[in-house]
Amino acid sequence: MIDLHGYGPRLAEGALVTIELAILSLILAIVLGLATASAKMSRNWVLHRLGTLYTTLIRGVPDLVLMMLLFFGGQIGVNMFTDWLYNRFDIDIFININEFVAGVVTIGLIFGAYMGETFRGAFLAVENGQIEAGRAYGMSHWLVFRRIRFPQMMRHALPGLSNNWMVLLKTTALVSVIGLSDMVKVAAEASKATREPFTFMIIVAVIYLLIASVSEWGFARLQKHYDIGYGEAD
Amino acid sequence: MADTPIPLEVRNITKRFGDTEVLKGLSLKAHKGDVITLIGASGSGKSTFLRCMNLLEQPNEGELIVHGESIRFKEAKHGREPADWKQVVNMRAKLSMVFQSFNLWAHMTLLENVIEAPIHVLGKSKREAIDHARELLERVGLGERADYYPAQLSGGQQQRGAIARALAMDPEVMLFDEPTSALDPELVGDVLKVMRDLAEEGRTMIVVTHEMAFARDVSTQVIYLHQGQVEEAGPPDQVLGNPNSERLKQFLAPKH
Repeated sequence: MIDLHGYGPRLAEGALVTIELAILSLILAIVLGLATASAKMSRNWVLHRLGTLYTTLIRGVPDLVLMMLLFFGGQIGVNMFTDWLYNRFDIDIFININEFVAGVVTIGLIFGAYMGETFRGAFLAVENGQIEAGRAYGMSHWLVFRRIRFPQMMRHALPGLSNNWMVLLKTTALVSVIGLSDMVKVAAEASKATREPFTFMIIVAVIYLLIASVSEWGFARLQKHYDIGYGEAD
Repeated sequence: MADTPIPLEVRNITKRFGDTEVLKGLSLKAHKGDVITLIGASGSGKSTFLRCMNLLEQPNEGELIVHGESIRFKEAKHGREPADWKQVVNMRAKLSMVFQSFNLWAHMTLLENVIEAPIHVLGKSKREAIDHARELLERVGLGERADYYPAQLSGGQQQRGAIARALAMDPEVMLFDEPTSALDPELVGDVLKVMRDLAEEGRTMIVVTHEMAFARDVSTQVIYLHQGQVEEAGPPDQVLGNPNSERLKQFLAPKH
């Protein structure tokens, strides 16, 4: 049996942090992605510009830089705000940015930009006639979105979405730089203390692979669900 | 007769795309049981005219009165638009459209296509909607195909399915936008037969078509459009049998 030198439980906790972080970031990224796609397809030029600015900014800067910028910069910003509150209104509060929340927000923000592009392309791939038929039958905008546009869009979005998810999952490893004890950080500490890097890094690699395989299976099922009604060849 | 409102009336519809005026003041009145066919060369504006009737296109000017209710408009930045979208949604539920390219929802079975709007727009119960849908699919000869997806059906079957979907709304008026133009010649007959049956049972229909035989046999009124204007209109034997306009004569002349 592999000797974990007592690091087993912490490693398991780290794995849980990784999974929670990844799933919550994914949810945030999907919400932001849908909002960004809608903004970029909007006729309102302010929304359109905002969407473009967001995707250009995020996609053009390395994830690590963004993460440090948001985490440390965010803390400085919060401190400046609380200082201002103190000086101006004599309100004394101290807000510490929680690493987990910071991690979710940063990763969600980064992948929201990628999801935005994925969703936009997918929405544009839905045939106009499908939407028109909904409108012609008295469906409201929301009903058309819920019953026709969204399910048909998902079919086109899923390959990109699953790709984004895989990258997102691995990006969670970056949160160790802001001090969050995900499984990579735990494994790094354990390797240092025990001088057995292979033991711990291989375990981490296997866990990542496991999560990835399970998600791939999940995405394949989703794809099958949304492909319904479309011929095999299409 | 006098107390039931006219199903559909449009007055002086104009439509511009940029600087080109494609509809130059068109009017039409569809009484109950009327079958009005719109004919004309491509680019004459007949499809745009039809699409203005359920506001898939926004007319720049003109009035639209559905079952006695006049649609309200307001001025907006991009031109005129409906003042009350709820009213439009209600109006559209009374006019169902059959498209040239069928536009059955690809991710739903034929049955799901037919029950979709009755359930979600008209608020019918699922049971009731399904019973009605099965009846209608039977009627258009697709009883056996209820659980097929559109991609598994031929064009003619898809279009008959789309007609069933339109009928499921119990519409005041059915709008047909070149319903047979995208079909292989051997599939046109089945679709036209379903449409003839509908006309015979007294459905109010407005049909944009190139099928002159259908126009002659079935319509109560034929309108020939040329460059966004009515060039000639009247009963079919007059308009198609003995046209006054030179252009219409040429349009009707057999092509070699």
